[in-house]
Amino acid sequence: MVYRIFVEKKPAFDQEAEALRRELTDFLGVASLTGLRVLNRYDAEGISKDLFDQAVRTVFSEPQVDTATETPDLKGGAVFAVEYLPGQFDQRADSAAQCIQLISQGERPLIRSARVYVLYGDLTENEIAEIRRYVVNPVEAREASLQKPETLRVEYAVPTEVKTLTGFRELDREGLTAFVRGYGLAMDTDDIAFCQQYFADEGRDPTITEIRMIDTYWSDHCRHTTFLTEIDGVTFDDELLQKAYESYLDVRRELHRTKPVCLMDMATIAVRYLKAHGKLDKLDESEEINACTVKMEVEADGKKEPWLLLFKNETHNHPTEIEPFGGAATCIGGAIRDPLSGRSYVYGAMRVTGAADPTRPVSETIPGKLPQRKLVTTAAAGYSSYGNQIGLATGIVDEIYHPGYAAKRMEIGAVIAAAPAENVRRERPEPGDVVILLGGSTGRDGIGGATGSSKAHTAHSVETCGAEVQKGNAPEERKLQRLFRNPAACRMIKRCNDFGAGGVSVAIGELSANPRSAWRWRWRRRTCPPSWPSPRRRTCRPAPWPGSRRSLGWSWRGTGRRSWTSAGRSWIPTARPSIYASRPAAPPIRKRPWSAGSGRTWSAWPRT
Amino acid sequence: MERLAEDLNVCSRRGLSERFDSTIGAGTVLMPFGGKHQMTPIQAMVQKISLEQKHTDDCSLMAWGYDPVLTTESPYHGAYSAVVESVSKLVATGASFEDVYLTFQEYFPKPGRDPRRWGLPFAALLGAFRAQMDLGIGAIGGKDSMSGTFENLDVPPTLVSFAVTTEKARRILSNEFKGADHRAVLLSPEYDENGLPEKGSLLALYDRVSDLIHSGKALAAYTPERGGAAAAVMKMAFGNGLGFRFAPEVPLEALLADKPGRFLLEVTEPVEGALTLGETTEAFAFVRGDEALDGPALQSVYEDRLEGVYPCNIPTVPGPVETFRFSAHEHPRARFQAARPRVLIPVFPGTNCEYDSAKAVRDAGGEPVVLVLNNLTPAGIVASTDRFAKALQNAQMVFIPGGFSGGDEPDGSGKFITAFFRNERIKDGITDLLDHRDGLMCGICNGFQALIKLGLVPYGRIMETDESCPTLTYNLIHRHQSRIVRTRIASNKSPWLSLMDVGDVVNVPISHGEGRFVADEALIRQLAENGQIATQYVDLEGRATVDVRFNPNGSLYAIEGITSPDGRVFGKMGHSERIGHGLYQNVPGNYDNRMFEAAVRYFR
Repeated sequence: MVYRIFVEKKPAFDQEAEALRRELTDFLGVASLTGLRVLNRYDAEGISKDLFDQAVRTVFSEPQVDTATETPDLKGGAVFAVEYLPGQFDQRADSAAQCIQLISQGERPLIRSARVYVLYGDLTENEIAEIRRYVVNPVEAREASLQKPETLRVEYAVPTEVKTLTGFRELDREGLTAFVRGYGLAMDTDDIAFCQQYFADEGRDPTITEIRMIDTYWSDHCRHTTFLTEIDGVTFDDELLQKAYESYLDVRRELHRTKPVCLMDMATIAVRYLKAHGKLDKLDESEEINACTVKMEVEADGKKEPWLLLFKNETHNHPTEIEPFGGAATCIGGAIRDPLSGRSYVYGAMRVTGAADPTRPVSETIPGKLPQRKLVTTAAAGYSSYGNQIGLATGIVDEIYHPGYAAKRMEIGAVIAAAPAENVRRERPEPGDVVILLGGSTGRDGIGGATGSSKAHTAHSVETCGAEVQKGNAPEERKLQRLFRNPAACRMIKRCNDFGAGGVSVAIGELSANPRSAWRWRWRRRTCPPSWPSPRRRTCRPAPWPGSRRSLGWSWRGTGRRSWTSAGRSWIPTARPSIYASRPAAPPIRKRPWSAGSGRTWSAWPRT
Repeated sequence: MERLAEDLNVCSRRGLSERFDSTIGAGTVLMPFGGKHQMTPIQAMVQKISLEQKHTDDCSLMAWGYDPVLTTESPYHGAYSAVVESVSKLVATGASFEDVYLTFQEYFPKPGRDPRRWGLPFAALLGAFRAQMDLGIGAIGGKDSMSGTFENLDVPPTLVSFAVTTEKARRILSNEFKGADHRAVLLSPEYDENGLPEKGSLLALYDRVSDLIHSGKALAAYTPERGGAAAAVMKMAFGNGLGFRFAPEVPLEALLADKPGRFLLEVTEPVEGALTLGETTEAFAFVRGDEALDGPALQSVYEDRLEGVYPCNIPTVPGPVETFRFSAHEHPRARFQAARPRVLIPVFPGTNCEYDSAKAVRDAGGEPVVLVLNNLTPAGIVASTDRFAKALQNAQMVFIPGGFSGGDEPDGSGKFITAFFRNERIKDGITDLLDHRDGLMCGICNGFQALIKLGLVPYGRIMETDESCPTLTYNLIHRHQSRIVRTRIASNKSPWLSLMDVGDVVNVPISHGEGRFVADEALIRQLAENGQIATQYVDLEGRATVDVRFNPNGSLYAIEGITSPDGRVFGKMGHSERIGHGLYQNVPGNYDNRMFEAAVRYFR
C-alpha cells in the first residue's frame, strides 16, 4: 500500500517559493506569474497507516511551519511535479526513510519524494513550458506523474552475461569510426584501431566491458592524454619564450632526461631539478599518489611530533556545467577523498571558480547551456551544502569572471589535511592481500564520468549526458572521515586509493605495484545491487562505486554484508588481523607507468 | 574608484562566501572577512592543524593566484605571475618564505591538432617552470583539464597556482587597516624588461616584508591583485570602516598598476625606499586631491554589484525588538556531585561538530562520551539505542552537537535527532536525567533545533509540539550563513551561563541555514519574564537588532538562545564550542562564554 502526503510551508515561512517566484518574474521575465506554490510530496510504502500518520506529524512536516494534507487544493493553477531521475540519490527521501526507521526500530520503508509546483496567473502555454524548462534540469530530474503509483518497488533485471562484440575484429576504418560514435566512446578512431589490433592478436572479440574499461582508462581524465602527448617540434615568435624553452632543455640535459618532451615533463621538471639540488627537503615521497604530501613538525601540547601535511586541488568543470549542484558537491567530495585516502583528516577547503558574468539576462544564454546565474548560484549551493555537511572550514571562496568561461565553467576545490606520521604506513601490496571497497551506496548514475569530461561538448550535451553526473552523500563521507581519523583503523592500511572518475577499473590497477597483475583480481562475492543494469557498470563506474564520487570504494546494504572483498592484489588487512597479517615487503617488481596515473592528477615524484 | 568597486573581478564576494561554513573545526585563524565590520577579504586561508584532542599553535596557509586577462594576453606572464601572486599572499599574511610548496590547476581549450592551441598550455607551463626555478620552489602536484571548449567558444588559458606553507598562529598578520592616521606604503621589487619581477629583488623583498611583519612594524599587509593598490586600499579600509587620504603626488597609474609581487603595508613609522600612498583617516571617506568619495556609498557600490546573484544585505524587516535583561540572584548546584562530570555526545549521521564539542568539554574539565549512532541496519539502530540508553544512565549531561543530521532532510532540520529521542527508552532516560538526577542538557545549532522541536526548550520535557510552540526555521536570507556575530547575555539564570554577567557581549561563530527563532509575542514575553531568553544578537553598540548584518537569520526579538524554565536545558545557535587560542584574529573580541566551565562547576 502506498500512502501519499503533501506538505507545504505556511505563508509566513514560504521564502523558498517566494524566492523562486522572484527569480521567474525578474530573472526569467515571466511577468504574468502572479503566484507560485511549492509542495513536497511524499509517497511511502512498507509502512503501517499508524506509523505513516505519526511520521506526517514528526518527519514529513512540522506543525509550526508546515501544513500537511492528503488532498491539497490545487484549483486554478497550472500544476506539475518534479522528481529525480531514477538512480539519482535523493537525500530527502533517504533521510525520511531513515527517520521513520529510527522511530519504528524496524525495517526501513520505501519513500519517494517529489516537488509539486502550482503556478497562478494568466500564463500562456509557452510561459508554462519555459518555467518547466527552467525548473527541471533533465540531467538530474524529470516531470513526475500526478497519479499515485500502485507500488514504489522497481524491478531490475539482473544481468547474467556480458555481451561479446562479435565482428569487432572485422570492422574497417569506417566501421570503427561508427563503432566509437555508436557506443559514445571518448577514444578516437586511432585508439579503437589499436584495440582492434590487440584483440586480433589475442584471436578473439572483446566484450563490451573490456572496451568500456579501456575507454575509461585511456580517457584524458584518467590518463593525461594531452599532457603526455609527445611534442616533436616547436616554433617560437617570441624570444622570451624561446629562452625559457632553452633553459628547460638545459635542465633536461643536466638531469639526463631522455623521455620525450611533453607538457607533463614541463610541469614536473622544476621539482626534479630542485630535488636534485637538495631543495624541497620536506617533500614526502611514496608510491602512493593520493595528494601532495609534505612533512612537518607539529607542536602538540608543547611536544614536537612528526606530521604529514596533505593538500590537493580538484576540478569538476564538466559535471558542474551540466548539473551544477551535484557537480560542485562532488567536486569538493572528490577533493576530500584524495588526502583522506592518504589517511589524513581534511579540515580546510578553498573554492575558486570561473564563470561568465552572472548578472547578464537569461536571454543571452548560449543555446544548450544553463544560464550563468543559475549555474553560479546552484553550484555554490551544491559545494557549500556538501562542504558544510561534511564539516570542513571553507576559508576562501572566490569567483573569477571572464566571458570565456561561458564555454565551460571552472569549478576548483582545494583542500588541506594533516595526519600524524605514525598513522601512515606505506607498504607494497602483495599477492594474497585483501582489497576492501568502502563507501556508501547511492544511485546507478555517474557512469562514464571520466570519459564524459574528456569529450568536447555540443549543444545536445545536457540531454544526452544525464548518466554522467551524480549526487554526493556527504553524511556517508563524513563517516569515512571519522574512520580514517581513528589511528587503529589507519594503521591497518598498507595502501589506499580513492575512486576517481575511472571507477574500479582504474582504482584497483593503481593500488597494485604491478599493473599487469592488477587485472587478475576477482570478485569474491558477486552480489551486486539490483540497480546495476549491466556488468559494465561494475567496472566503469566513477568513484564510490555504487554511484558517487565520494567514497573510497563501497559497501552495499542489500545483502546485509558490510563490504566486498576481492582476492588478488592488495589493499588493507581487514578487521581480522590474524588472517590478513601483513607480510614483509617484497622487492620492487616494476615501477608504475604513467598510464596508471591517479585520475588526472599528476604529481612530481617517483615515476621514471 | 567607484568603477573599481563595481568591477566584477574586484567587487565583494561576501554573499557568495558566507554560505560556506568557515569556522567548523575550531581552527580558523583568520575569518574570510576581517575587521569589526567583517568586510576586508583575506588573501590566504589560515587554519590550525587539526588535532583531535591536543592543542597547537601550528597552522597551515593556502593562497591562490591567477589573472585571466593577463594569462589571455600572455600565458607565460600569466602563469609566472600566478605563482608569484600565490606566494606573495602567503608572505603578506605573515608566513616566512621557506618550505613553500605549490600545486597547479591547468584548464585550457581543447588543443585538437592546432599547434597554436597547443602553444597556450606550452607557454603557460614554461612560465610556471621559470617561476619555480627562479623562486626555488616546486609544484608537487597538479591537475590538468584540457577540455575547455564549447563549439567555437574557449575558456581563457588558465593556470591557477595554489601555494601552501605552515607557520605559527602567533606570527599571522591580518590585512585590514587597524587604525586611523597610519601610513600606507607600497614596496615593489625590481621588474625586468619583460615586466616580471627580478628574482633576487623579489626574494629580498619577501624577507624584508616578513621582517617588517614579525617585528611588529607592519600592522596590516596586502599584496595588490586585480585593481592594483587602489583596490587594496579600499578593501583594507572597509573592514574597520576607516577612510583614506591618498598622497596627492602619487600618480594614478601607480595606484592602478597590476604587477605581481608588490606589498602594501600599514605602518606608523616611515619605511625606507617605500612609496607612501597616503594615510588612514577616522572619517570613512576616500580622498584624493579635491575629490572625495563617501565611504558608505563606495561600500554599497562594492557590495551591490553581485547582490542580485549572491545576496548578503537583504532589507531589514522591521519588527518589535527589545534588549532583555534578567539577572539571577543565585545559582543552584546539582545535588549529585561529580568531579569530572560525564557528557554524553551523540553522533548522528550528518553530525559534524562532535570533535569540537568533545574538545571544549574536555578542556573545561568534563569527560566527553562520544557515541556514534549506527544506522546501517535495523539491528544496528536497536543496538545503538541500547548503548545510548545505558550511557545516559551514567551521564550527568547530554550535549547534542551541531551538524546536518540526515542532511537537514526531509525539508527541515533536526528531524533525525528528534525521531531518535522520541523513542520510548531514550525519552524515559532523558526524563530521568532531568527530573530525578539534576542533569544538564545543551544543544548547539542542529542540537538546538532538535531541542526546540522536542519541546525540551522552552518547556523542559519531550512532548508533541503543535502550532503554538516556538521553532527554528529557515533564515530570512534563505541560505546558509557563516560569520561572526555578537551575542549579549540576556539572562544568566541557566547553570550554563552562571559565570557570565547580564550585558556581557560575546563574539561567536555562527553557521546555519535554519536559525530563525519564531514564537508568538505572548510566549516571548513570558519567556523573557522568566529569564528563559538567554542570549540575543546585538549590534556594535550592544543593542538587540533585526538588522541582517548582526542578526543573521531574522530571529524574532533577536533571540539566539533560550533555556528550559529552570535553565538546565540550554539551546543556542552560535557555536560556542568553536573556541581556542589564536583564532579569529581578524575579528577581535571575547569569544569565550565559559558555558562548558560553568556546566562542569555546577556538578562540583
